[in-house]
Amino acid sequence: MKNRRNFLKASMLAAGAGSLGTIPNLFANPDTGRPMRFIFMHRGNGLFPKVMTPPSLSEQDKARDDKKEAFEVDLAKHELPDWMAPLDAHKDNLTILQGLSGKMCTTGHHSWCSALGVYKANERPSTIKWATVDFELAKLFPSPMEHIELACFPTGGGNARGSLEGIAKGFSARGPQQPNYAFGSPKRAMEELFKSVSSEKDDQIKYQLERKVLEFAAKNQARIGENLDGIEQSKVTNYAESIEAIRERNRKIDNMGDVLRQHVPKLEEKYLADELNTLDRQNAHAEVLLSALISGLTNVVAFTVDELGHPYTGLPGIENEKVNMHDVGHNKSIGGLEAPEIRKRARQHHMTLIDTIVTRLKSTPDGSGTMFDNTMLFYFPDGGETHHSHGWEYPFVVMTGNNSKVNLGSKYIRLPYHNEVGHKTLGNWWTTILNANGNPIEHFGDHDLSLRIDQSGPIRQFL
Amino acid sequence: MTRFSPALLLASLAFAAHFSAAADPDFSLPGNAAGLLETHCFTCHDGDSEKGDVRLDDLADVALDARLELLNKMQEQLYFGEMPPRDRKKQPSDSEREQLQDWVAGELEKHNASTLEDKLRYPDFGNAVDHDKLFSGEIQDAAYTPARRWLVSPQIFEERVKDVFQLEGRDRNRKLHGVTNPFILPDRSGVRDYDNTTLDGGHLLVMLANAEWISYKQIRAARVKSGELKADEYQNPKDKWAPRETPSALEAVIINPDKPSDDELIAAIHAQFDMVLGREPTPEEAQRYLDLTRSSVEVAGNTEGLRQMLVSVLLESEFLYRLEFGAGEPDEHGRKKLAPNEAARAISYALGDRGPDPVLQQAAVEGRLSTKEDFEREVRRLLADETYYAGAVDPALSGKNMRSHETTHPKLVRFFREFFGYPTAAKIFKDSPRSDGFYQNPSRGTAGSPGFLIKEADRIVDYHLARDEAVFENLLTTDEYFVYHDKDNETGKQIIAEWTEAYEKLKDTDWKASPEQVIEENLEFIKSKKSLRIVGGKQKRELLRYMYYFEDTIAKGRTPFTTPSFAHGYTYNHSTFYNLPPTPHIFRYNVVLDKNFKALEEEEFWDYPVEQPFKIEHRKGILTHPAWLIAHSSNFHTDPIKRGRWIREKLLAGRVPDVPITVDAQVPEDPHKTFRERVETVTTKEECWKCHQHMNPLGLPFEAFDDFGRYRLEEPLEYPEHLTSKATKKGGADTYKTKTVSTLGELSGTGDPKLEGVVEDSFDLIDRLAKSDRARQSIIRHAFRFFLGRNERLSDSQTLIDADRAYVESGGSFRAVVVSLLTSDSFIYRK
Repeated sequence: MKNRRNFLKASMLAAGAGSLGTIPNLFANPDTGRPMRFIFMHRGNGLFPKVMTPPSLSEQDKARDDKKEAFEVDLAKHELPDWMAPLDAHKDNLTILQGLSGKMCTTGHHSWCSALGVYKANERPSTIKWATVDFELAKLFPSPMEHIELACFPTGGGNARGSLEGIAKGFSARGPQQPNYAFGSPKRAMEELFKSVSSEKDDQIKYQLERKVLEFAAKNQARIGENLDGIEQSKVTNYAESIEAIRERNRKIDNMGDVLRQHVPKLEEKYLADELNTLDRQNAHAEVLLSALISGLTNVVAFTVDELGHPYTGLPGIENEKVNMHDVGHNKSIGGLEAPEIRKRARQHHMTLIDTIVTRLKSTPDGSGTMFDNTMLFYFPDGGETHHSHGWEYPFVVMTGNNSKVNLGSKYIRLPYHNEVGHKTLGNWWTTILNANGNPIEHFGDHDLSLRIDQSGPIRQFL
Repeated sequence: MTRFSPALLLASLAFAAHFSAAADPDFSLPGNAAGLLETHCFTCHDGDSEKGDVRLDDLADVALDARLELLNKMQEQLYFGEMPPRDRKKQPSDSEREQLQDWVAGELEKHNASTLEDKLRYPDFGNAVDHDKLFSGEIQDAAYTPARRWLVSPQIFEERVKDVFQLEGRDRNRKLHGVTNPFILPDRSGVRDYDNTTLDGGHLLVMLANAEWISYKQIRAARVKSGELKADEYQNPKDKWAPRETPSALEAVIINPDKPSDDELIAAIHAQFDMVLGREPTPEEAQRYLDLTRSSVEVAGNTEGLRQMLVSVLLESEFLYRLEFGAGEPDEHGRKKLAPNEAARAISYALGDRGPDPVLQQAAVEGRLSTKEDFEREVRRLLADETYYAGAVDPALSGKNMRSHETTHPKLVRFFREFFGYPTAAKIFKDSPRSDGFYQNPSRGTAGSPGFLIKEADRIVDYHLARDEAVFENLLTTDEYFVYHDKDNETGKQIIAEWTEAYEKLKDTDWKASPEQVIEENLEFIKSKKSLRIVGGKQKRELLRYMYYFEDTIAKGRTPFTTPSFAHGYTYNHSTFYNLPPTPHIFRYNVVLDKNFKALEEEEFWDYPVEQPFKIEHRKGILTHPAWLIAHSSNFHTDPIKRGRWIREKLLAGRVPDVPITVDAQVPEDPHKTFRERVETVTTKEECWKCHQHMNPLGLPFEAFDDFGRYRLEEPLEYPEHLTSKATKKGGADTYKTKTVSTLGELSGTGDPKLEGVVEDSFDLIDRLAKSDRARQSIIRHAFRFFLGRNERLSDSQTLIDADRAYVESGGSFRAVVVSLLTSDSFIYRK
C-alpha cells in the first residue's frame, strides 16, 4: 500500500537531517559560473492582446496600441493590468511583449509543438520538423534529466487518448518526429523524478528493477557488438552506448541523492490526492517544477499550464463548476460568470503561479546571487491571439533574471504589426533567445509565407 | 604492363626523391604515382598555383590529418572522374587513373581512413557506379549482399508490434495508441530505406516507453484472471484496449500462486522470443534470461518479475533490425545463402511490411527455401496473393476527409512513390491566395490539397501496376489521370443516371417556390433515387440544393461531380491544379433558403468525367502530375533545378555534385524577368554552369507548369509594379502582367544519339526519355536499391542485367522485375 505521507515524512526528515546543501554545479556557464534556467509556461484558448495593455497608457499610446503600431513604455511608470497584480513585486524583471506573429504555426484550437518549434505541427509525430526551442536550450545547459515537461493535459481534442494523470505526448519535441513525454499528474511526476530517493518500498523495488533491466540490456548489446566490426558493429554498439548513457544519467541522479532528498516537492496531502482540481494541479506542478530546477535535475521546464481541452475546475467563484474552456472560447457564461471574467480569473491564477516561482527562485542562492538571476520565464499562448487563432499575435509575459543576456528591460513593448517594416515572428524571438545563450543559429523555425519583409535572424534590439 | 615515357620517369624519380626525404616514414610515393601527379595534377595544385586551395606537392610534409583529408578528396575526385577536369585535353589513361587510385587507397588504408567506401553506401552516391560498365555484361563477378543488420522500416515496425500481440484479421487494422514509432525515413525523392542506419539514443528512449506499454498489455488478461486487477480497472481509462488473452506460457507464471519453476520461466522466455524475435533463444540466451527473470521475481513477485523479462526482450536490438547473415557452408566465392528463416523474412519484407505468411514459414521449416526456384515459387505466389499484404498505400495521408488509396501490394506502389518523390508535396507549404484560394495546406487531421494530389498519383501508379504492361513507359507518358474519383466507375454512372432522371422529371415542377410540395408529390420517385438522400417531405433544403446543383451542371450539359459540395466534410478544391474547372464551393448552396435569395451567380463548373482514368490535356505522365510538380517546387516558385536534377539522377543515372558550401544559391529578384530568366542570370556563369549544365536544360522545359502544377505558357510577374487587378474574392489571387515562358531544353546523357539534343518542351523531353534504354535501366537500378536496401556495386551487374532483360522480355512487367531481383544472387547470398 502506497502512502505518500511516509514518502514525504522520510524526505522531510532526510532534508532536516542534512545541512542545507548547495545546488549541484554540474554544468556551469563560463560567464556566470552558473547555468541559465528556462521556464516555458504556455496556455491554451489564446491570449487576447488587449488584456496585456497597461491601463495607465497615455491616450496617444493607447491609440497606438489599438492600431497595433510599434512603441514601448517603461513599466515603472505604469500600472499593470489588474490580473497581473501578483507580478507587481517583480515589475523590475517583467516585460510585456506584444506584436510577435506565428502564422507559420498550426493555430486554431490546438497547436501541439507549433509555438515552441515554429512550424505547423499536429498530433502526428511525423509533423514534428525539429527539436523545439526548449530542447535546444536544454542542450546548451545540460542537466541529468535534460528537460522536464509538466502538463495539465486536455482530455479531448488535443489529446483524445490521454488521461489527466498519465505520462503522454507533450508540446515539446526532442528532435524530428520525436515528441516529448509530459507528466500529467504532479504526484506521478514527483514519483518519477524523485524515485531514486523514495522511501516507499514499492518505489524502491521499481527503481531497482529498472536499473536491473538496463544493466542487462546494456551487457547484452555490448556482448553482441563485441563480435562485429565496421558499420555492423556501430549498429549495435550505438544502441548499447545509448543504454549506457541512460545508466550514466541514473548514476548521476543516484549521486545527487542528498540534494534530491532536500528538494523533494513539499506538497500538502490534497495535492497528492487522486482527484484534484485544476488550480491545485497547477499549484502542485509549480512545486514539482521548482524542485526539479532547484535540485539541479534539469535547467529547462516546459509547463502546459492549461490547454483548451482541459476540463477546468477550481476557478475562484465557480469552484465547483467543470468549466469547458472551449465554451469559454465561444463566449459562453458559466456559473453566472461571463467568459471574459472566467478567462481573467484563470490568467490571474497563472500570475500567482509565476509569482510563486519567481519568489522562490529569488530566495534560492545560486553562485553569488540567486537562482532567479539566471532564469528566464516565458508565459504565452500556444495558439496565438484568441480561441480560433490565426497566429497574427502571440502576446508574451517574460520574467528575466539579471544575468540574462537578453536585453528586454522592465517595459511594455509593442513590436511592428504583421507585414509592417520591422515586424518580428516567433521565429525571430526564439532565435534571439538561442543566440543570446550561445546557439548561433541563423534562424530558428519556418518562415511565414505571407510575409513580404525580411524575416530571418534575431531581434537585434534585444541582444 | 604499364609503360612510362622517359620524361615521366625522370619526373617520377625527382619527386620520389623529394618525398623520400620527407619527415613521415609512413608515407610513401612510388615513382609511377609521383610521375602521374607531376604530369596531371601539379599544374594546378602545386605551391605556385594551389587552385581551389588544394596543394599536392607537399603531401609528405603536412600533418597526418590534413594529408588524410587531402587524400580522401583525391580519392573521391579520381573515383568520380572529376579530376583532372573533364575539359582538360591531357587526361590520364584508365590504367594510369587506376594506378593513382590504388596508391591513394593504399595510403588511406594504412590509417584505416578512407571515407569513400562509407560514402558509397549512401543514397546520394547510388549512381557512383559507372552505368555503361554495369550493363556492359563484361562483369562476371558472383553477386552477393554483405551480411548485415537492416533497420526495420516504420511500417515493418508497426507490423512487428502487432505480431507481438499475435493480432490477426481485422484486429491488425487497429492503431496501437500506446506505441510510438521510433523510426522515420527521410523526406526526399528517391529510395529512402537503406541498410546503413544505426539505432541510437532517440530510438532507445522511444523503445523504453513502448516496451513498458506493450508488456503491460501483454499480461493484462492474465492479471485480470488471477484477480490482481479487476476487469474494469485501468491505469488509463481512455486506453482500455488489450489482447483478449495472455499467451499461456506467460499466464502460467502470473496465475501461479507460488514461485514459478525454472521450466515455467523458460517456457515464458521461449514464448516471448518467439513473439518478439521470431526465433528460439540460444541456450546461453535462455540461461541469461532465466537468471534475470528469476532474480526479478525474487525482488518483485511473479508478475513484475516476468514483466522485466518481457521488457528486456522487447529492448533487444534484434527486434528493430532485420538480420541477414546467411548460413550453411560457403560456396566457392565465400558466399552463404540466407538461412531459411532469414530468407522467409527477406521475401516477405520485400513484398510487404508483414512477416512471412504460414505457407512461407512452413517452406522455411521444411527446407523448401534454399534454391532459386524455391524463391521464385514463393515470390510468385505472394505476388498473386491479393489479401495478405493488402492495405493502405500511405495511412499517414488518411485524415478526417480522405482515406489513402488501398491496394493489394502497397509496397510495390511505394517503390514508385519513393522513386518519383511526389509524396514530398505534402511538405511544401504554399501561400494559398496565390492559387486563388484553392490550395489547402496540410493541417490538423488533413493532408490538404497535396494529400489529394498524392493519392491521385498513387492511383495512377497502382492502375499501371495492375495492368503490368510497359509500366515505366506508361507512368512516364500516360495522359490519363484520376481526379477526385471517390466512387468506382459503375457507382458513379449509376448516381449520374439517377440524378439526370431526377432532374429531368422535376425540372419543370415548381421546385423553387414549393419544394416541399414537389417532394410530397414525388416522394416515392425521389426515395427510389438513393443517391439523392431525400427520404421525407421535410427535406426541402436538400431538394433545393440538389436542384440548384443540377441547374449548375446537368442543365448546362455538364456532368456533376458525384459528391455534391454540400455533402458533409466536402473538401474537393484541387481540380484547378490540373487546369480543370472547379466544382462548386462548399458554401455555394447554403443560401438557397435565405429570405432574400433570388438566384445563384453564374459560374462555370467542371464537366466531371465519371469514368476514370480520363484524358487531360497538356499532361504527360507522372512528371507533369501536380503532385510531382509541387514536390519539386519551392514555397513560391517552380524549381527547375530540382526538377532537372531529378531527371539527371533518376532517369539518366547521372550525378550532380552537391552545392559547394561557398555558394549561396539564391535566385536574384528582377521584376522584369521570368523565373527562368532569373535562374539563368545566376547559373550560366562559367563556374556555376559546370554543374548546372547537368540540370537546367532538363528542368527548364517544365517551366510550362507553375509551382502549383498548373499548365501555363504565360508567367505572372508577381511584383507590385505589375499588379493589374486585386483579387475579386476573399483569399483570392491578384492578377499581374505576364510574360511568355520559354520551354526549350536539351537532353543529354542518354547514351543514344537519336534521342539527344534540343527539346521543344517537357512533353518532347518525356517522350524521348520514355524511349531511352538508359532511363529504363536507371529505374531498374532504383528498384534494386529499394528491394535490396543498398546501392548496387559492379558485382551486382548480372542481377541488374537480368532484371532489365526480364522487364523487356515480359513487355514491361514490373512484377517480372521484382521476381528477377528477389531470385538474384544479390538477394539470396550473403558474405
